[in-house]
Amino acid sequence: MPRPEVRMVTLTIDGREVEAPENSMLVDGAKHGDVEIPVFCYEPKLGPPVGACRMCLVEVEGIPKLQTACSTPVKDGMVVHTQTERVRKAQEAVVEFLLINHPLDCPVCDKGGECPLQDISYGWGGGTSRFIEPKRHFRKPLALSPLVAIDRERCILCYRCVRYSQEIAEDYQLVLLERGAHSYVGTFDSTPYVAPFAGNIIELCPVGALTSRAYRFRARPWDIEAAGSICTLCPAQCNISFTVRDDRVLRVMARDNPDVDDGWLCDKGRFAYQAVHADERVVEPMVREGGTLRPVSWERALDEAAAALSRARGRVGALAGDGATNEEGYLLGRLLREALDCNDLDSRVARGPSRETARALSAPALGATVPDVEFAHAVLVLDCEPMDDMPILDLRIRKGVRRHGMRLVVATSRPSSLDPNAAVSVRFAPGAGEAFLAALDAALAGGDVDSAAGAAGADPAAVRELARLLREAGDDVVVVWGERLTGGPRGEQAARALLNVCARLNLRRDGAGLLEIPSSANGRGLREAGVLPGAGPGWSEAADGRDAAGIARALAGGELGALYLLRTDPVRTHPDRTVWSAALARANAVIAHASVLTEGLLEHATVVFPAESYAEKEGTVTHPDGRVQRLRPAIGRPGGVRAEWQVLADVARRAGLEIALPTGAAATKLLFEAVPFYAGLSLVDLAADGVRWPERDAASALDAPAWEPVELERPPAAPSPNGALRLGTFRPIWAAPEVEVSPALRFLSARARVELSPGDARRLGLASGARVHVSHDGTGVAAEVVVRSDVPAGSAFLHEAQGANALSSGEPRLVEVRPA
Amino acid sequence: MKLLFDRVDEPGLNTIDVYRARGGYEPLRRALAMRPDEVVAQIDASGLRGRGGAGFQMGKKAAFIPKGDMDKFLVCNADESEPGTFKDRELMQKNPHQLIEGIAIAAHATGCNRAFIYIRGEYDYVADILDGSVAEARAAGLLNHVDLVVHRGAGAYICGEETALLDSLEGKRGNPRLKPPFPANQGLYQGPTLINNVETLSTVPHVIRMGGAEYAKLGTETSTGTKIVSVSGHVRRPGNYEIELGIPSREIVYGLAGGPAEGRRVKLWFPGGSSAPVLTEEHLDLPYDFDSMAKAGSMLGSGSIIVIDDTVPVIDVAKWVAKFYTHESCGKCTPCREGTRWTLAMVERMDRGEATPMDIEIMAGVQDQIIGHCLCVLGDSMAMPIASLVKHFREEIEAHIEAARARREGIVSPDSPREQPTEATV
Amino acid sequence: MSAFEAEQSVPRFAHGSRVPGWDDAVDVNKDPASIPDPATTAVPDDLRAEIEEHMSRYPDRRSAAIPALRAAQRRHGWCSPQAIDQVASVMRVTPGYLASIATFYDMTENEPRPDHHDVFVCTNISCSLLGAPDVFAAFQEVASDEDRIHVRSFECLGACDIAPMASVDGVYVGPLEPRDAQTVVDDIKAGRPVLEDRQLARRPVADEEARGA
Ligand SMILES: Cc1cc2nc3c(=O)[nH]c(=O)nc-3n(C[C@H](O)[C@H](O)[C@H](O)COP(=O)(O)O)c2cc1C
Ligand code: SF4
Ligand code: FES
Repeated sequence: MPRPEVRMVTLTIDGREVEAPENSMLVDGAKHGDVEIPVFCYEPKLGPPVGACRMCLVEVEGIPKLQTACSTPVKDGMVVHTQTERVRKAQEAVVEFLLINHPLDCPVCDKGGECPLQDISYGWGGGTSRFIEPKRHFRKPLALSPLVAIDRERCILCYRCVRYSQEIAEDYQLVLLERGAHSYVGTFDSTPYVAPFAGNIIELCPVGALTSRAYRFRARPWDIEAAGSICTLCPAQCNISFTVRDDRVLRVMARDNPDVDDGWLCDKGRFAYQAVHADERVVEPMVREGGTLRPVSWERALDEAAAALSRARGRVGALAGDGATNEEGYLLGRLLREALDCNDLDSRVARGPSRETARALSAPALGATVPDVEFAHAVLVLDCEPMDDMPILDLRIRKGVRRHGMRLVVATSRPSSLDPNAAVSVRFAPGAGEAFLAALDAALAGGDVDSAAGAAGADPAAVRELARLLREAGDDVVVVWGERLTGGPRGEQAARALLNVCARLNLRRDGAGLLEIPSSANGRGLREAGVLPGAGPGWSEAADGRDAAGIARALAGGELGALYLLRTDPVRTHPDRTVWSAALARANAVIAHASVLTEGLLEHATVVFPAESYAEKEGTVTHPDGRVQRLRPAIGRPGGVRAEWQVLADVARRAGLEIALPTGAAATKLLFEAVPFYAGLSLVDLAADGVRWPERDAASALDAPAWEPVELERPPAAPSPNGALRLGTFRPIWAAPEVEVSPALRFLSARARVELSPGDARRLGLASGARVHVSHDGTGVAAEVVVRSDVPAGSAFLHEAQGANALSSGEPRLVEVRPA
Repeated sequence: MKLLFDRVDEPGLNTIDVYRARGGYEPLRRALAMRPDEVVAQIDASGLRGRGGAGFQMGKKAAFIPKGDMDKFLVCNADESEPGTFKDRELMQKNPHQLIEGIAIAAHATGCNRAFIYIRGEYDYVADILDGSVAEARAAGLLNHVDLVVHRGAGAYICGEETALLDSLEGKRGNPRLKPPFPANQGLYQGPTLINNVETLSTVPHVIRMGGAEYAKLGTETSTGTKIVSVSGHVRRPGNYEIELGIPSREIVYGLAGGPAEGRRVKLWFPGGSSAPVLTEEHLDLPYDFDSMAKAGSMLGSGSIIVIDDTVPVIDVAKWVAKFYTHESCGKCTPCREGTRWTLAMVERMDRGEATPMDIEIMAGVQDQIIGHCLCVLGDSMAMPIASLVKHFREEIEAHIEAARARREGIVSPDSPREQPTEATV
Repeated sequence: MSAFEAEQSVPRFAHGSRVPGWDDAVDVNKDPASIPDPATTAVPDDLRAEIEEHMSRYPDRRSAAIPALRAAQRRHGWCSPQAIDQVASVMRVTPGYLASIATFYDMTENEPRPDHHDVFVCTNISCSLLGAPDVFAAFQEVASDEDRIHVRSFECLGACDIAPMASVDGVYVGPLEPRDAQTVVDDIKAGRPVLEDRQLARRPVADEEARGA
């Protein structure tokens, strides 16, 4: 969809000529002439202005009444006055009115010192009040949720928070109740405002009415420093600013980057900084002695690790995951391939497509950006749940639908939180993404839709409708898809089907294309750094090796002897928990970088290196849309924690590979040299906003020829339930170790739940809340039933809370659900 | 001359048969045979000004509605909540088909394919009548070109304001919207929307029947036609009267409504509902039309006259006004939400004897801070009458403040006479 | 006590504001209120049918919010959390969305008041000029022991021609005197039409020249 073009026009503000973008609001236009017009309710991120607070009244020549500058578009030749007596009086009046109710308790207010109400009262207020009636007093502060406190005395009814809940997060939980001067911000029937993005209201509130319960009274603005970095808790890689006091992170705020996050954060990103200082954090190297992990010196840990790895030379596997940087991935690759002569390394949880096909999928010409999602004519959300997998993208998709009329189509197994916004939603059986794509390909190419749709367990008419919509919505179509689509034994076929669909929709163009949500925070960066079997840095050719599942089997079978775990614990995150437990138990050595001892490490790690938190890390990560972003340390490393690039280099040296790395920046430099399409990048270029490599000339290094649709294999049919249930699994946004160890977020930790359709629940005699046992072939997990009317009959969806991966295998599977 | 109220109590007039028997729906037939722009031209020629408050020419507003095939909406404003106003109620209760016909004609003229009558929730019994009449009209094939729905509100004065009405009709809180965009361009569900008052739309069939030019001969040059005036308060015959615009106000207050009781005189009157700045006895000789009322510093508004005689302390009037608008402020914009509340607090304090004459200045100043600064004119609707009370009766208010203070401070007996209006706990 | 005073008289730092909710924290142990799942929310069939019928009248289902809430109120007596949950489940909106609306409008009842009769006494200007305060006081007194009769003062009900007046379960009656309060309450309790001779619906137009044949 063509983005609005910006034309500059000239207007006169307070006697001076100012150039400003046409149709921008006067408030913003005035900034081009260094004129500040005070605002409270205006916040462009929230959509069109509402003109509620009346703070921004100014005089526009030719219009008799004062106008709200927040809602008056800039026009050529306009003459505006912001300093006249009339304007001054009107602005003073609004401040006086707002302060009538305000308690003026700035000395004990968390917002004090960073409060727009204070600033505006000082700058535009009259300085005195004529209001002598008693002020209103309420109980305060009150809980609005376990995370947010509300002080209704301070609220100036600017509407920002409720507009946010209704128009950005679209959760419609935070509302205005009552009317007139009695209006107040609240929720239905004293329910808490708990939603994945609720914390943003804290930053939006221009007064001290909404405060973070975790940050309350921890610091004053003059005690703190702000340090910009990247949140690496999920693939969204939002740009954040750490609030630091005395080398501790006390708060995380958004650092608006419209190309990444639009200035919003999810609550995991906002509050899980607490994990940085959690008691559970590993801050010293540890070695297993007599069955338990004990703290040891660095020398000893490094020696033991290197010795164990060297002993197993040629028989070492490695996995890398959440939060590992590109540099670390690159160094891990060299450690494995060059020092240990091993090729068994993976950063994906399940086998993906072949190197050739994967390259085609990541072709720069086929890549879509985050803003493309917003401005596309249509977006297909395919086999992923953005809310859980890349939360901030969920807000972007909603924004596209709401503001630009983007047509959303959803194709998933589990009902999506985006269904209400979608023009069409198609359901297919869990794991049947390939078959669905084959059906879609057929629908786009005019082939036989029915048989593939049948294999997918999808409604052929709905698939046709979806295809029609994608074809007719307009040229710019973005497909947002989850890594799980191409993970597993038939990943190659699924990827080919996806490429066919792209070719048929002609997605190799600006404004259209693919956006893959990887299964780990820096999934894309790790792949590009070469943490893959059979692919080196920059998707270069490399000797073939085992994928994650293969590594598990080889370890369990004794073919591999040691395992290197860079920030991942497969027992927790990878399918086939039982196989992984056995594999780790059998391994002679398990070397892990970890900040928390999760179950697999606790039981089986032989050496643990304390991992840096994201607030301590330097290096780069790559956003799913190819934006290379820079991490900057905000605080020092606690205890004995060392830089992980350094640890990797030290291990490599002890194993016989010298990599000269005087500084972290040197590691980045090596990486940029090793990945052809990163060539020429520098840390300086990345600056604050990062650089999207597919837009640079060097991107041609990954050019793949346009995909010609291929004849697809006949996809296998999804298993028919026949009394059992098809198992679908998904990882809720809260299923993360950082959430579990952050005191503020602990109440959200994912619980083991299984979602059933009303029909299946009735048949099994189960109601919401029932405790059940979900099992396959004797292996099972305990869970609590949630009956959902939109779950398709025949499927059960298991939340990937702790232990749920015992049941998943990466392949479609049937399970039984019985009362526990 | 009776148009809207012509034999309005005729039994059965609210049925389609009786309405038709006296020529009803004939204008609709004629209008449907005309091109839409011809119908708009007739309405324009009639000079018909909106009867809901603002007095904007209906023909002009209809002409703003863009042409084209999109969904367009017509909304009849039947929220009638302005204190002192009760004309739409009687029009809808007794002659619903006249309104439905007006809507059908206006919908044809503007190409609106969907229409709503937004009626205040308190008028449930009237809405029941409308529901029946709409069903009759639909069954008779008179509404083939427009889908008409009667929508009941739930009690909020602000929903009479046209953009708040739209929000309310969309199922939201009734908060006014910023203008522009004006409803004619982006109204209900973001579509072009024509909004008119019940009386305005009920007049449309007469305009078509008579021809715009003929209609324009009624009334004055800039206030054409007839108008239903609701008269209430201290008059002997309160109720609705259809008058030709421009007759002397005195003729309405004394001639038709009978004036105040024997021995009483008109102390002040609201010429256009409680939002209109008050006028005094001397203004009774002004012609009752839009321009004369405006020239006198007030407005004709919805055409509702509230008469107040000399038994009533002005401070009571101020209190009723302030209390009403405080209760009805939607709360969206600051000056209205806080200004109304503050004003009420000051008036009550004056009455309790806790004020000094200086508070009159503050009160007047607060009204200045409200007027022209709000999102919609509800704030002004309190500030203008309150300011007018201060302007016309400053001395009485001063005296009241002093007397109340004396009573409170025991300088005179607290029991000395003062009718204390019982306070409502809303 | 005046409206303003009632709100102000909360002693400093003490608790007890007039508007329900201002002083309420949430219950952090409750589940957040998202759209109730039809699978777990029971809605009476007739109520569901009525709400669905209302939704079908508008291009956007949310337009049915007020009619739907009023339908639920007729059934439950007030907009109870349960009533709102039911409407929310049928309309596919959050209960918060509806609560926001239910508390905005005057005719939606937000306090527990199952199965009751409404008496709205107009206390706006025209009625007050003619004695509404006394009429209201009389109603309050007469109904003080009747928990099934809910007397409220109301802003202008659009019937100043019969001032002072009241709306009794939607039936407009007036002019009233204080002593009529008892009759009205008796009529309600007996299930009779209220003050039959003074119902507005039967009143001829004041404009004599306009009276029909
Ligand atoms: C606070 C407020 C309340 C209003 N109430 C009503 C009303 O109850 N009925 C009405 O017809 N117009 C009312 N209006 C005027 C409407 O906004 C609008 O001007 C009118 O419906 C247009 O119709 P007309 O041009 O036919 O008069 C009100 C305006 C304001 C500012
Ligand atoms: S709580 Fe803050 S953001 Fe919300 S309305 Fe009040 S002042 Fe505005
Ligand atoms: S900032 Fe313009 S009205 Fe609030």
